[in-house]
Amino acid sequence: MNNPFSKLSMNKKLALIAFILGLVAVFAGNPYRGNSVTIDTKDLALIVDKTVDHVSPEELADWIIQGKVDFKLLDLRAEKEFNEYHIPVAELVPLAELNEHPLLRNEKVVLYSEGGIHSAQAWMLLRAKGYKAVYMLFGGLEEWTDKILFPKIPQNATQEQLATFKKMKEVSKFFGGSPQTDTGKQEVASTKPMPKLEMPSGTSAPTAGKKKKKEGC
Amino acid sequence: MNAPFYKYGLFGDDVSLVVAFIIGIGFGFFLERGGFGNGRKLAAQFYFNDLTVFKVMFTAIITAMIGIYYLSVIGWMDLSLVYLNPTYIVPQTIGGLLLGFGFVIGGYCPGTSCVSAATGKIDGMVYLLGIVFGIFIFGEIFPLVSNFYNSTPMGQITLSQLFNIPYGILVFAVVLMAIGGFAASEWAEKKLGNKIVGPEL
Repeated sequence: MNNPFSKLSMNKKLALIAFILGLVAVFAGNPYRGNSVTIDTKDLALIVDKTVDHVSPEELADWIIQGKVDFKLLDLRAEKEFNEYHIPVAELVPLAELNEHPLLRNEKVVLYSEGGIHSAQAWMLLRAKGYKAVYMLFGGLEEWTDKILFPKIPQNATQEQLATFKKMKEVSKFFGGSPQTDTGKQEVASTKPMPKLEMPSGTSAPTAGKKKKKEGC
Repeated sequence: MNAPFYKYGLFGDDVSLVVAFIIGIGFGFFLERGGFGNGRKLAAQFYFNDLTVFKVMFTAIITAMIGIYYLSVIGWMDLSLVYLNPTYIVPQTIGGLLLGFGFVIGGYCPGTSCVSAATGKIDGMVYLLGIVFGIFIFGEIFPLVSNFYNSTPMGQITLSQLFNIPYGILVFAVVLMAIGGFAASEWAEKKLGNKIVGPEL
């Protein structure tokens, strides 16, 4: 062993290694990944195809009624809309702030927006960033409103459908909605006031008779 | 498998406490083996008689820094998930000075006082009681100082962002500082004598 490195003391060897690693670091680039990610498109497409990325309004309602706390419900709409009505236990996280919102990689996250487009886009963003358990509320708040808050009895309902509707009536009441037993009048449902928020926020006045407008979401 | 393990869900809250316990025991053990359970040795660094603490801490800093830097660069670790303490520059400077005064006067910092108390040193135990008492007082007067406590917020900022220089260059600069510091402390120890003032505890 006649190389100069072996003649150095242990401390000097360590210092030299640190120096070299530090020097290489100058050229090695930024340790932060920033906002750019790589995604496995096939993997994601398969998940979408199998529709395992959805939570139905009924499932979500069930979770809330059971008092489950193993998931986070994120409302991606604007603050104003959030204050008018949101699903109980939801947190307001506007889409643009999703990147900064603290979430654990393994946390179960349910996203919803007005329709379904924003939540689908947010789902994509979170999956791409490596969040494993992200789901979206199927049909968004619109579906929630139709199915949970103001469920309707189908015309010429079968026995089975009647039984389901009976159950949904209870669920609807839990969330402060009103089941529509009158089958013919579709319009009545969409002009019903949203239930009052139980949260002690000052701005939670019910929006009286506001017709829900269909936007992109 | 990606780090940080906890944030990627490799283990939950319960296991994380066990991991913290094991790391804590390891930390304490090596502090003790490094002689950091002795208040005189610790205080000696402020008189430049014995700069072991400085050397050990700076070694830990550059080891961790280089490790985290390269793990992140090769993609084994997501640095953005590592918690950064937010900076409140004025209150933290004052707090740092207070801790420094306490360190010079008492001979311990919080971690080493635990080590010292665990090895049965009476001054370490008294120091630990002082820490608990201080925490209690701080908690009681917190409403009075909370405005100051939350003043001058700078957010979760790093030196690289503050000075707008690339991380790699900062890593190299800190390594150079460390090597310079090691050389200077070896020199100071030779010059000022590697002696501990007063009788051994």
